[in-house]
Amino acid sequence: MSVYGSSPLNKCWAIRLMALLLLSANGLSASQLDQLDGALQVHGFLTQAYVKTTENSFFGDSQDGSWDFRELGINSSYRFTPSTMASIQLLSRRAGEMYDGSLDLDYAQLDATIYTADANRVGIIVGRYKNPFGLYNDTRDVAATRPGNFMPQAIYWDRVRNMVLSNDGAQLFGDLQVDEHRFSIRLIGGKTPIDENVEKSYLNPLLDPEMEQDGLTLGGRLLYEWDGGRFNLAYSSAHLTLDAETSLLPDGEVEIDYQVLSAQYNSGRWSLTLEYMQEPLNYSGFGGLMDAGDTTLDGYYLQGTYRLRDDLELFARYEESHYDKQDKRGEKTAQRLGLEAHNFYSRVSTLGLLWEVTEGLIVRGEFSQVDGTIFLSNLENPPPQMRSRNWNLFSLLVSYSF
Amino acid sequence: MTTNYRAFAVGLLLCLSSSANSVDLVINRDIDYESLSRNTLRSIFSMRMTQWPNGKPIRVFVMGDKTSQHANFSKHVLGVFPHQLRRAWNRQIFSGMGQAPMKVNTEAEMLQQIENTPGAIGYLSEDNINERVRKLSVE
Repeated sequence: MSVYGSSPLNKCWAIRLMALLLLSANGLSASQLDQLDGALQVHGFLTQAYVKTTENSFFGDSQDGSWDFRELGINSSYRFTPSTMASIQLLSRRAGEMYDGSLDLDYAQLDATIYTADANRVGIIVGRYKNPFGLYNDTRDVAATRPGNFMPQAIYWDRVRNMVLSNDGAQLFGDLQVDEHRFSIRLIGGKTPIDENVEKSYLNPLLDPEMEQDGLTLGGRLLYEWDGGRFNLAYSSAHLTLDAETSLLPDGEVEIDYQVLSAQYNSGRWSLTLEYMQEPLNYSGFGGLMDAGDTTLDGYYLQGTYRLRDDLELFARYEESHYDKQDKRGEKTAQRLGLEAHNFYSRVSTLGLLWEVTEGLIVRGEFSQVDGTIFLSNLENPPPQMRSRNWNLFSLLVSYSF
Repeated sequence: MTTNYRAFAVGLLLCLSSSANSVDLVINRDIDYESLSRNTLRSIFSMRMTQWPNGKPIRVFVMGDKTSQHANFSKHVLGVFPHQLRRAWNRQIFSGMGQAPMKVNTEAEMLQQIENTPGAIGYLSEDNINERVRKLSVE
Protein backbone atom coordinates (compact mmCIF):
# COMPACT_ATOMS: atom_id res chain seq x y z
CA MET A 1 0.00 0.00 0.00
CA SER A 2 1.37 3.38 -0.84
CA VAL A 3 0.61 6.89 0.21
CA TYR A 4 -0.75 9.22 -2.41
CA GLY A 5 1.52 9.94 -5.36
CA SER A 6 4.34 7.57 -4.39
CA SER A 7 7.22 6.20 -6.45
CA PRO A 8 6.59 4.83 -9.94
CA LEU A 9 8.38 1.64 -8.90
CA ASN A 10 5.25 -0.08 -7.67
CA LYS A 11 3.13 1.10 -10.58
CA CYS A 12 3.41 -2.07 -12.68
CA TRP A 13 2.99 -4.19 -9.61
CA ALA A 14 -0.16 -2.29 -8.68
CA ILE A 15 -1.71 -2.68 -12.10
CA ARG A 16 -0.95 -6.40 -12.21
CA LEU A 17 -2.35 -7.00 -8.75
CA MET A 18 -5.47 -4.98 -9.48
CA ALA A 19 -6.06 -6.75 -12.79
CA LEU A 20 -5.67 -10.09 -11.05
CA LEU A 21 -8.09 -9.14 -8.27
CA LEU A 22 -10.63 -7.80 -10.73
CA LEU A 23 -10.49 -10.87 -12.93
CA SER A 24 -10.71 -13.31 -10.06
CA ALA A 25 -13.54 -11.45 -8.34
CA ASN A 26 -15.46 -11.21 -11.56
CA GLY A 27 -14.83 -14.88 -12.27
CA LEU A 28 -16.74 -15.89 -9.16
CA SER A 29 -20.36 -16.62 -9.81
CA ALA A 30 -23.07 -14.71 -8.01
CA SER A 31 -23.89 -17.77 -5.95
CA GLN A 32 -20.30 -18.08 -4.71
CA LEU A 33 -20.28 -14.46 -3.58
CA ASP A 34 -23.72 -14.95 -2.19
CA GLN A 35 -22.59 -17.32 0.56
CA LEU A 36 -23.66 -14.89 3.24
CA ASP A 37 -27.01 -13.78 1.78
CA GLY A 38 -25.32 -10.86 0.08
CA ALA A 39 -23.87 -9.50 3.35
CA LEU A 40 -20.37 -9.85 1.86
CA GLN A 41 -19.99 -8.17 -1.49
CA VAL A 42 -17.15 -7.55 -3.93
CA HIS A 43 -17.36 -4.94 -6.68
CA GLY A 44 -14.92 -3.30 -9.02
CA PHE A 45 -14.30 -1.25 -12.13
CA LEU A 46 -11.81 -0.98 -14.99
CA THR A 47 -11.61 2.11 -17.16
CA GLN A 48 -9.37 2.97 -20.09
CA ALA A 49 -9.54 6.21 -22.03
CA TYR A 50 -7.89 7.66 -25.08
CA VAL A 51 -7.29 11.43 -24.95
CA LYS A 52 -6.35 13.69 -27.85
CA THR A 53 -5.81 17.45 -27.73
CA THR A 54 -4.89 19.89 -30.48
CA GLU A 55 -2.65 21.91 -28.10
CA ASN A 56 -1.50 21.57 -24.45
CA SER A 57 -1.32 18.40 -22.38
CA PHE A 58 -4.26 16.96 -20.47
CA PHE A 59 -4.08 13.50 -18.89
CA GLY A 60 -0.79 12.63 -20.55
CA ASP A 61 1.01 13.59 -23.73
CA SER A 62 -2.35 14.18 -25.36
CA GLN A 63 -1.16 16.11 -28.41
CA ASP A 64 0.15 12.82 -29.75
CA GLY A 65 -2.88 10.92 -28.41
CA SER A 66 -2.57 9.65 -24.84
CA TRP A 67 -3.54 6.26 -23.41
CA ASP A 68 -2.37 7.38 -19.94
CA PHE A 69 -5.81 7.65 -18.38
CA ARG A 70 -6.69 4.41 -16.65
CA GLU A 71 -8.65 3.65 -13.49
CA LEU A 72 -8.91 0.32 -11.69
CA GLY A 73 -10.78 -0.13 -8.45
CA ILE A 74 -11.87 -3.04 -6.33
CA ASN A 75 -13.88 -2.97 -3.14
CA SER A 76 -15.39 -5.22 -0.58
CA SER A 77 -18.08 -4.57 1.98
CA TYR A 78 -19.45 -6.65 4.79
CA ARG A 79 -22.67 -5.91 6.62
CA PHE A 80 -22.31 -7.33 10.13
CA THR A 81 -25.81 -6.28 11.15
CA PRO A 82 -28.40 -4.13 9.34
CA SER A 83 -26.92 -1.09 11.10
CA THR A 84 -23.17 -1.74 10.89
CA MET A 85 -21.05 -2.15 7.79
CA ALA A 86 -17.34 -2.18 6.98
CA SER A 87 -16.07 -1.32 3.51
CA ILE A 88 -12.71 -0.90 1.80
CA GLN A 89 -11.68 0.13 -1.70
CA LEU A 90 -8.30 0.03 -3.44
CA LEU A 91 -7.66 2.30 -6.38
CA SER A 92 -5.00 2.47 -9.06
CA ARG A 93 -5.31 5.64 -11.08
CA ARG A 94 -3.09 6.68 -13.94
CA ALA A 95 -3.80 10.23 -15.04
CA GLY A 96 -1.00 11.53 -17.21
CA GLU A 97 1.78 13.06 -15.12
CA MET A 98 -0.65 13.86 -12.29
CA TYR A 99 -1.12 10.30 -11.02
CA ASP A 100 1.19 7.39 -11.74
CA GLY A 101 -1.17 4.47 -11.20
CA SER A 102 0.30 3.30 -7.90
CA LEU A 103 -2.07 1.60 -5.52
CA ASP A 104 -3.95 3.83 -3.08
CA LEU A 105 -6.24 3.08 -0.22
CA ASP A 106 -9.29 4.92 -1.54
CA TYR A 107 -11.43 4.35 1.54
CA ALA A 108 -11.56 2.02 4.53
CA GLN A 109 -14.42 2.78 6.82
CA LEU A 110 -16.73 1.49 9.48
CA ASP A 111 -20.27 2.78 9.32
CA ALA A 112 -22.66 2.51 12.27
CA THR A 113 -26.28 3.63 12.27
CA ILE A 114 -27.08 4.66 15.81
CA TYR A 115 -30.76 5.43 15.36
CA THR A 116 -33.18 4.32 12.69
CA ALA A 117 -36.93 4.58 12.11
CA ASP A 118 -38.26 3.77 8.63
CA ALA A 119 -36.21 5.82 6.15
CA ASN A 120 -34.85 8.12 8.88
CA ARG A 121 -31.46 7.47 10.39
CA VAL A 122 -28.54 8.95 12.29
CA GLY A 123 -25.09 7.45 12.28
CA ILE A 124 -21.33 7.79 12.29
CA ILE A 125 -18.55 6.74 9.92
CA VAL A 126 -14.95 6.37 11.08
CA GLY A 127 -11.80 5.69 9.07
CA ARG A 128 -10.85 7.00 5.64
CA TYR A 129 -14.01 8.08 3.85
CA LYS A 130 -14.77 9.87 0.57
CA ASN A 131 -15.94 13.43 1.06
CA PRO A 132 -19.56 14.06 0.13
CA PHE A 133 -19.00 17.27 -1.88
CA GLY A 134 -21.28 18.47 -4.61
CA LEU A 135 -23.23 15.80 -6.43
CA TYR A 136 -20.32 13.67 -7.64
CA ASN A 137 -17.15 13.93 -5.54
CA ASP A 138 -17.49 10.67 -3.61
CA THR A 139 -17.60 8.51 -6.78
CA ARG A 140 -15.60 10.79 -9.10
CA ASP A 141 -13.25 7.97 -10.18
CA VAL A 142 -16.05 5.67 -11.32
CA ALA A 143 -16.72 6.42 -14.98
CA ALA A 144 -20.28 5.06 -14.86
CA THR A 145 -21.36 7.52 -12.16
CA ARG A 146 -19.68 10.72 -13.30
CA PRO A 147 -21.26 13.19 -15.69
CA GLY A 148 -18.64 12.78 -18.45
CA ASN A 149 -15.25 11.27 -19.28
CA PHE A 150 -13.66 14.01 -17.16
CA MET A 151 -15.19 15.63 -14.12
CA PRO A 152 -16.35 19.20 -14.81
CA GLN A 153 -13.10 21.01 -13.98
CA ALA A 154 -14.93 24.15 -12.89
CA ILE A 155 -16.01 22.34 -9.70
CA TYR A 156 -14.00 19.12 -9.47
CA TRP A 157 -10.43 20.12 -10.29
CA ASP A 158 -8.18 17.25 -11.25
CA ARG A 159 -5.00 19.24 -10.62
CA VAL A 160 -5.96 19.61 -6.93
CA ARG A 161 -8.07 16.47 -6.66
CA ASN A 162 -6.74 15.35 -3.28
CA MET A 163 -7.67 18.60 -1.59
CA VAL A 164 -11.26 17.40 -1.36
CA LEU A 165 -11.12 13.70 -2.22
CA SER A 166 -11.15 12.02 1.17
CA ASN A 167 -10.54 12.42 4.87
CA ASP A 168 -9.04 10.34 7.65
CA GLY A 169 -11.34 10.93 10.60
CA ALA A 170 -15.03 10.82 11.35
CA GLN A 171 -18.26 11.74 9.65
CA LEU A 172 -21.70 12.17 11.16
CA PHE A 173 -24.74 11.59 8.97
CA GLY A 174 -28.47 12.05 9.34
CA ASP A 175 -31.40 11.44 6.95
CA LEU A 176 -34.95 12.63 7.47
CA GLN A 177 -37.85 11.74 5.20
CA VAL A 178 -41.09 13.73 5.40
CA ASP A 179 -43.54 12.62 2.71
CA GLU A 180 -41.90 13.50 -0.63
CA HIS A 181 -39.14 15.51 1.04
CA ARG A 182 -35.82 14.07 2.12
CA PHE A 183 -33.17 16.00 4.05
CA SER A 184 -29.65 14.63 4.46
CA ILE A 185 -26.83 16.12 6.46
CA ARG A 186 -23.18 15.02 6.56
CA LEU A 187 -20.62 16.61 8.85
CA ILE A 188 -16.96 15.78 8.27
CA GLY A 189 -13.81 16.22 10.34
CA GLY A 190 -10.41 14.75 9.59
CA LYS A 191 -6.97 14.94 8.00
CA THR A 192 -6.81 15.31 4.24
CA PRO A 193 -4.10 13.40 2.35
CA ILE A 194 -2.16 16.21 0.61
CA ASP A 195 0.00 15.40 -2.42
CA GLU A 196 2.38 17.00 -4.92
CA ASN A 197 -0.50 18.03 -7.21
CA VAL A 198 -1.92 20.22 -4.44
CA GLU A 199 1.50 21.59 -3.42
CA LYS A 200 2.41 22.63 -6.94
CA SER A 201 -0.95 24.17 -7.72
CA TYR A 202 -1.34 26.50 -4.77
CA LEU A 203 2.29 27.68 -4.96
CA ASN A 204 4.65 28.15 -7.90
CA PRO A 205 6.32 24.78 -8.69
CA LEU A 206 9.66 26.62 -9.13
CA LEU A 207 9.62 27.31 -5.37
CA ASP A 208 9.68 23.56 -4.56
CA PRO A 209 6.74 23.89 -2.20
CA GLU A 210 6.12 21.31 0.50
CA MET A 211 2.90 21.38 2.47
CA GLU A 212 1.50 19.86 5.59
CA GLN A 213 -1.98 20.27 6.93
CA ASP A 214 -2.43 22.43 10.02
CA GLY A 215 -5.36 21.10 12.08
CA LEU A 216 -8.32 19.34 10.51
CA THR A 217 -10.48 19.70 7.46
CA LEU A 218 -13.97 20.59 8.69
CA GLY A 219 -17.09 20.82 6.60
CA GLY A 220 -20.04 18.89 5.27
CA ARG A 221 -23.01 18.80 2.98
CA LEU A 222 -26.69 19.58 3.27
CA LEU A 223 -28.82 17.83 0.64
CA TYR A 224 -32.51 18.19 -0.08
CA GLU A 225 -34.20 15.68 -2.40
CA TRP A 226 -37.75 15.95 -3.61
CA ASP A 227 -39.87 13.15 -5.05
CA GLY A 228 -37.20 10.44 -5.00
CA GLY A 229 -34.53 12.65 -6.56
CA ARG A 230 -36.62 14.40 -9.21
CA PHE A 231 -35.20 17.61 -7.79
CA ASN A 232 -31.98 17.85 -5.74
CA LEU A 233 -30.48 20.86 -4.02
CA ALA A 234 -27.21 20.78 -2.07
CA TYR A 235 -24.74 23.02 -0.29
CA SER A 236 -21.27 21.65 0.47
CA SER A 237 -18.37 23.29 2.23
CA ALA A 238 -14.90 22.48 3.57
CA HIS A 239 -12.24 24.52 5.29
CA LEU A 240 -8.56 23.62 5.57
CA THR A 241 -5.21 25.27 6.29
CA LEU A 242 -1.92 24.14 4.77
CA ASP A 243 1.48 25.02 6.28
CA ALA A 244 3.95 25.54 3.45
CA GLU A 245 7.73 25.55 3.14
CA THR A 246 9.46 26.76 0.00
CA SER A 247 13.04 27.03 -1.20
CA LEU A 248 12.93 30.82 -1.39
CA LEU A 249 10.22 32.50 0.68
CA PRO A 250 9.68 32.53 4.45
CA ASP A 251 7.39 29.73 5.69
CA GLY A 252 3.73 30.61 5.33
CA GLU A 253 0.27 29.19 5.20
CA VAL A 254 -2.49 28.82 2.65
CA GLU A 255 -6.04 28.91 3.96
CA ILE A 256 -8.63 27.31 1.68
CA ASP A 257 -12.39 27.55 1.83
CA TYR A 258 -14.28 25.40 -0.62
CA GLN A 259 -18.00 25.93 -1.19
CA VAL A 260 -20.27 24.25 -3.73
CA LEU A 261 -23.91 24.91 -4.50
CA SER A 262 -25.65 22.19 -6.56
CA ALA A 263 -29.06 21.93 -8.20
CA GLN A 264 -30.39 19.14 -10.38
CA TYR A 265 -33.69 18.33 -12.05
CA ASN A 266 -34.31 14.78 -13.30
CA SER A 267 -37.26 13.97 -15.44
CA GLY A 268 -36.65 10.39 -16.53
CA ARG A 269 -35.56 11.06 -20.11
CA TRP A 270 -33.77 14.33 -19.50
CA SER A 271 -31.94 16.05 -16.69
CA LEU A 272 -30.45 19.43 -16.01
CA THR A 273 -27.59 20.05 -13.58
CA LEU A 274 -26.07 23.29 -12.33
CA GLU A 275 -23.19 23.47 -9.87
CA TYR A 276 -21.38 26.57 -8.68
CA MET A 277 -18.12 26.58 -6.72
CA GLN A 278 -16.24 29.34 -4.98
CA GLU A 279 -12.97 28.98 -3.19
CA PRO A 280 -11.48 31.89 -1.26
CA LEU A 281 -7.69 31.46 -0.92
CA ASN A 282 -5.77 33.32 1.76
CA TYR A 283 -1.95 33.40 1.64
CA SER A 284 -0.05 34.63 4.73
CA GLY A 285 3.49 34.61 6.09
CA PHE A 286 5.24 34.35 2.70
CA GLY A 287 5.68 38.13 2.53
CA GLY A 288 5.32 40.70 -0.22
CA LEU A 289 3.64 39.86 -3.48
CA MET A 290 2.58 36.37 -2.36
CA ASP A 291 0.56 37.56 0.65
CA ALA A 292 -1.07 40.25 -1.46
CA GLY A 293 -2.17 37.53 -3.89
CA ASP A 294 -5.30 36.49 -2.01
CA THR A 295 -8.07 35.63 -4.40
CA THR A 296 -11.42 33.93 -4.66
CA LEU A 297 -11.55 31.30 -7.39
CA ASP A 298 -14.94 30.46 -8.76
CA GLY A 299 -16.56 28.41 -11.47
CA TYR A 300 -19.79 26.81 -12.60
CA TYR A 301 -21.14 24.37 -15.12
CA LEU A 302 -24.52 23.71 -16.64
CA GLN A 303 -25.15 20.27 -18.10
CA GLY A 304 -28.17 18.94 -19.91
CA THR A 305 -28.62 15.27 -20.76
CA TYR A 306 -31.20 13.61 -22.93
CA ARG A 307 -31.83 9.87 -23.16
CA LEU A 308 -32.38 9.01 -26.80
CA ARG A 309 -32.96 5.32 -26.11
CA ASP A 310 -32.90 3.12 -23.01
CA ASP A 311 -29.15 2.67 -23.50
CA LEU A 312 -28.09 5.90 -25.22
CA GLU A 313 -27.61 9.32 -23.65
CA LEU A 314 -26.63 12.57 -25.29
CA PHE A 315 -25.20 15.40 -23.19
CA ALA A 316 -24.04 18.96 -23.55
CA ARG A 317 -22.13 21.01 -20.97
CA TYR A 318 -20.87 24.54 -20.64
CA GLU A 319 -18.40 25.45 -17.90
CA GLU A 320 -16.40 28.43 -16.77
CA SER A 321 -13.57 28.76 -14.25
CA HIS A 322 -12.01 31.97 -12.97
CA TYR A 323 -8.87 32.54 -10.93
CA ASP A 324 -10.43 35.70 -9.53
CA LYS A 325 -14.23 35.95 -9.44
CA GLN A 326 -13.91 39.75 -9.73
CA ASP A 327 -11.77 39.39 -12.87
CA LYS A 328 -13.58 36.88 -15.08
CA ARG A 329 -11.38 37.49 -18.13
CA GLY A 330 -8.15 37.27 -16.13
CA GLU A 331 -6.91 40.63 -17.37
CA LYS A 332 -6.11 42.30 -14.03
CA THR A 333 -4.39 39.18 -12.66
CA ALA A 334 -2.44 38.87 -15.91
CA GLN A 335 -1.20 42.44 -15.59
CA ARG A 336 -0.20 41.95 -11.95
CA LEU A 337 1.69 38.69 -12.56
CA GLY A 338 3.04 39.47 -16.02
CA LEU A 339 1.42 36.51 -17.76
CA GLU A 340 -1.20 36.21 -20.47
CA ALA A 341 -4.82 36.44 -19.35
CA HIS A 342 -5.84 32.98 -20.61
CA ASN A 343 -3.87 31.41 -17.75
CA PHE A 344 -6.49 32.70 -15.33
CA TYR A 345 -9.75 31.40 -16.78
CA SER A 346 -11.27 28.59 -18.84
CA ARG A 347 -14.46 28.38 -20.85
CA VAL A 348 -15.37 24.93 -22.08
CA SER A 349 -18.20 23.68 -24.31
CA THR A 350 -18.62 19.91 -24.42
CA LEU A 351 -20.79 17.55 -26.41
CA GLY A 352 -20.85 13.85 -25.61
CA LEU A 353 -22.58 10.55 -26.18
CA LEU A 354 -22.87 7.69 -23.68
CA TRP A 355 -23.70 4.15 -24.73
CA GLU A 356 -24.59 1.66 -22.00
CA VAL A 357 -23.77 -1.54 -23.88
CA THR A 358 -24.71 -3.84 -21.00
CA GLU A 359 -25.47 -3.29 -17.30
CA GLY A 360 -21.77 -3.05 -16.56
CA LEU A 361 -20.16 -1.90 -19.80
CA ILE A 362 -20.19 1.69 -21.01
CA VAL A 363 -18.58 3.52 -23.91
CA ARG A 364 -18.49 7.33 -23.96
CA GLY A 365 -17.09 9.76 -26.48
CA GLU A 366 -16.89 13.49 -25.98
CA PHE A 367 -15.54 16.58 -27.66
CA SER A 368 -14.72 19.90 -26.00
CA GLN A 369 -13.79 23.28 -27.31
CA VAL A 370 -11.68 25.12 -24.75
CA ASP A 371 -10.71 28.76 -24.38
CA GLY A 372 -8.22 29.22 -21.51
CA THR A 373 -5.71 27.09 -19.64
CA ILE A 374 -6.50 27.51 -15.93
CA PHE A 375 -7.16 23.84 -15.21
CA LEU A 376 -4.04 22.48 -16.94
CA SER A 377 -1.66 20.80 -14.51
CA ASN A 378 1.78 22.31 -13.87
CA LEU A 379 3.11 18.75 -13.67
CA GLU A 380 2.42 17.90 -17.31
CA ASN A 381 2.66 21.25 -19.08
CA PRO A 382 5.47 23.67 -19.90
CA PRO A 383 5.58 27.06 -18.07
CA PRO A 384 2.43 29.22 -18.48
CA GLN A 385 4.09 31.41 -21.13
CA MET A 386 4.19 28.43 -23.50
CA ARG A 387 0.56 27.27 -23.22
CA SER A 388 -1.96 27.80 -25.99
CA ARG A 389 -5.14 29.71 -25.30
CA ASN A 390 -7.50 27.94 -27.71
CA TRP A 391 -7.51 24.15 -27.89
CA ASN A 392 -9.79 21.19 -28.52
CA LEU A 393 -10.11 18.03 -26.50
CA PHE A 394 -11.45 14.67 -27.67
CA SER A 395 -11.72 11.54 -25.57
CA LEU A 396 -13.07 8.04 -25.90
CA LEU A 397 -13.59 5.93 -22.80
CA VAL A 398 -14.52 2.31 -22.13
CA SER A 399 -15.42 1.23 -18.64
CA TYR A 400 -16.58 -1.99 -17.08
CA SER A 401 -17.97 -2.24 -13.57
CA PHE A 402 -19.52 -5.09 -11.63
CA MET B 1 -60.60 11.42 -37.46
CA THR B 2 -58.76 8.36 -38.73
CA THR B 3 -55.65 9.61 -36.93
CA ASN B 4 -57.62 9.80 -33.69
CA TYR B 5 -58.80 6.23 -34.02
CA ARG B 6 -55.28 5.13 -34.84
CA ALA B 7 -53.90 6.97 -31.81
CA PHE B 8 -56.56 5.37 -29.64
CA ALA B 9 -55.73 1.92 -30.99
CA VAL B 10 -52.03 2.43 -30.38
CA GLY B 11 -52.78 3.73 -26.88
CA LEU B 12 -54.94 0.71 -26.13
CA LEU B 13 -52.26 -1.61 -27.41
CA LEU B 14 -49.66 0.09 -25.18
CA CYS B 15 -51.97 -0.24 -22.18
CA LEU B 16 -52.52 -3.91 -22.87
CA SER B 17 -48.87 -4.69 -23.45
CA SER B 18 -47.83 -2.84 -20.29
CA SER B 19 -50.48 -4.54 -18.20
CA ALA B 20 -49.32 -7.88 -19.59
CA ASN B 21 -45.90 -7.14 -18.08
CA SER B 22 -47.18 -5.51 -14.92
CA VAL B 23 -45.62 -6.75 -11.72
CA ASP B 24 -46.59 -6.67 -8.07
CA LEU B 25 -44.56 -6.11 -4.97
CA VAL B 26 -43.87 -9.29 -2.97
CA ILE B 27 -42.16 -9.95 0.36
CA ASN B 28 -41.20 -12.91 2.47
CA ARG B 29 -44.13 -14.07 4.61
CA ASP B 30 -42.33 -13.33 7.89
CA ILE B 31 -42.63 -9.58 7.25
CA ASP B 32 -45.95 -8.50 8.64
CA TYR B 33 -47.10 -5.79 6.25
CA GLU B 34 -50.11 -5.27 4.02
CA SER B 35 -48.81 -2.20 2.21
CA LEU B 36 -45.81 0.12 1.93
CA SER B 37 -45.58 3.74 0.81
CA ARG B 38 -43.85 4.66 -2.43
CA ASN B 39 -41.30 6.76 -0.49
CA THR B 40 -40.41 3.81 1.73
CA LEU B 41 -40.10 1.59 -1.36
CA ARG B 42 -37.76 4.11 -2.99
CA SER B 43 -35.55 4.09 0.10
CA ILE B 44 -35.54 0.28 0.10
CA PHE B 45 -34.84 -0.21 -3.64
CA SER B 46 -32.20 2.53 -3.75
CA MET B 47 -30.51 0.51 -0.95
CA ARG B 48 -30.59 3.30 1.61
CA MET B 49 -32.96 1.60 4.03
CA THR B 50 -31.37 -1.57 5.37
CA GLN B 51 -33.69 -2.85 8.08
CA TRP B 52 -37.35 -3.56 8.70
CA PRO B 53 -38.92 -1.88 11.75
CA ASN B 54 -38.52 -5.18 13.65
CA GLY B 55 -34.74 -4.90 13.14
CA LYS B 56 -34.46 -7.70 10.59
CA PRO B 57 -32.23 -7.02 7.57
CA ILE B 58 -33.95 -6.08 4.30
CA ARG B 59 -32.86 -8.31 1.38
CA VAL B 60 -33.61 -6.70 -1.95
CA PHE B 61 -33.97 -8.87 -5.08
CA VAL B 62 -34.14 -7.52 -8.62
CA MET B 63 -34.03 -8.84 -12.19
CA GLY B 64 -31.74 -7.52 -14.94
CA ASP B 65 -32.00 -3.85 -15.98
CA LYS B 66 -33.22 -4.80 -19.44
CA THR B 67 -35.97 -7.20 -18.39
CA SER B 68 -39.54 -6.00 -18.86
CA GLN B 69 -40.34 -6.92 -15.24
CA HIS B 70 -37.60 -4.66 -13.87
CA ALA B 71 -38.38 -1.81 -16.26
CA ASN B 72 -42.04 -2.07 -15.35
CA PHE B 73 -41.41 -2.11 -11.61
CA SER B 74 -38.93 0.80 -11.78
CA LYS B 75 -41.08 3.04 -13.92
CA HIS B 76 -44.57 2.27 -12.65
CA VAL B 77 -44.06 1.41 -9.01
CA LEU B 78 -40.97 3.44 -8.03
CA GLY B 79 -41.40 6.13 -10.68
CA VAL B 80 -37.76 6.10 -11.84
CA PHE B 81 -35.97 4.73 -14.91
CA PRO B 82 -33.76 1.61 -14.55
CA HIS B 83 -30.64 3.64 -15.45
CA GLN B 84 -31.38 6.06 -12.60
CA LEU B 85 -31.69 3.20 -10.15
CA ARG B 86 -28.42 1.66 -11.39
CA ARG B 87 -26.61 4.98 -10.92
CA ALA B 88 -27.99 5.24 -7.39
CA TRP B 89 -26.66 1.73 -6.63
CA ASN B 90 -23.26 2.52 -8.18
CA ARG B 91 -22.97 5.67 -6.08
CA GLN B 92 -23.61 3.64 -2.94
CA ILE B 93 -21.41 0.68 -3.90
CA PHE B 94 -18.37 2.70 -4.97
CA SER B 95 -18.45 5.26 -2.16
CA GLY B 96 -18.61 2.58 0.54
CA MET B 97 -21.99 3.86 1.70
CA GLY B 98 -24.11 0.89 0.68
CA GLN B 99 -24.47 -2.46 -1.05
CA ALA B 100 -26.00 -3.74 -4.26
CA PRO B 101 -29.30 -5.64 -4.44
CA MET B 102 -29.16 -9.36 -5.24
CA LYS B 103 -29.83 -10.20 -8.85
CA VAL B 104 -31.98 -13.10 -10.04
CA ASN B 105 -32.37 -14.22 -13.65
CA THR B 106 -35.90 -15.57 -13.77
CA GLU B 107 -39.21 -15.12 -11.99
CA ALA B 108 -38.97 -18.73 -10.77
CA GLU B 109 -35.70 -17.82 -9.05
CA MET B 110 -37.28 -14.64 -7.68
CA LEU B 111 -40.17 -16.65 -6.20
CA GLN B 112 -37.78 -19.12 -4.64
CA GLN B 113 -35.58 -16.39 -3.09
CA ILE B 114 -38.50 -14.36 -1.73
CA GLU B 115 -39.98 -17.50 -0.21
CA ASN B 116 -36.78 -18.76 1.38
CA THR B 117 -34.92 -15.59 2.41
CA PRO B 118 -36.04 -13.91 5.66
CA GLY B 119 -36.63 -10.19 5.12
CA ALA B 120 -36.74 -10.58 1.32
CA ILE B 121 -38.50 -8.09 -0.96
CA GLY B 122 -38.92 -8.19 -4.75
CA TYR B 123 -41.54 -8.26 -7.49
CA LEU B 124 -43.39 -10.85 -9.57
CA SER B 125 -45.97 -11.00 -12.36
CA GLU B 126 -49.44 -11.74 -11.03
CA ASP B 127 -49.45 -15.21 -12.66
CA ASN B 128 -46.35 -16.20 -10.74
CA ILE B 129 -47.51 -15.12 -7.28
CA ASN B 130 -48.71 -17.85 -4.93
CA GLU B 131 -49.45 -18.23 -1.22
CA ARG B 132 -45.79 -18.95 -0.37
CA VAL B 133 -45.02 -15.22 -0.62
CA ARG B 134 -46.93 -12.12 0.52
CA LYS B 135 -48.25 -9.71 -2.08
CA LEU B 136 -48.19 -6.07 -0.97
CA SER B 137 -50.05 -3.03 -2.17
CA VAL B 138 -48.35 0.32 -2.69
CA GLU B 139 -49.93 3.27 -0.87
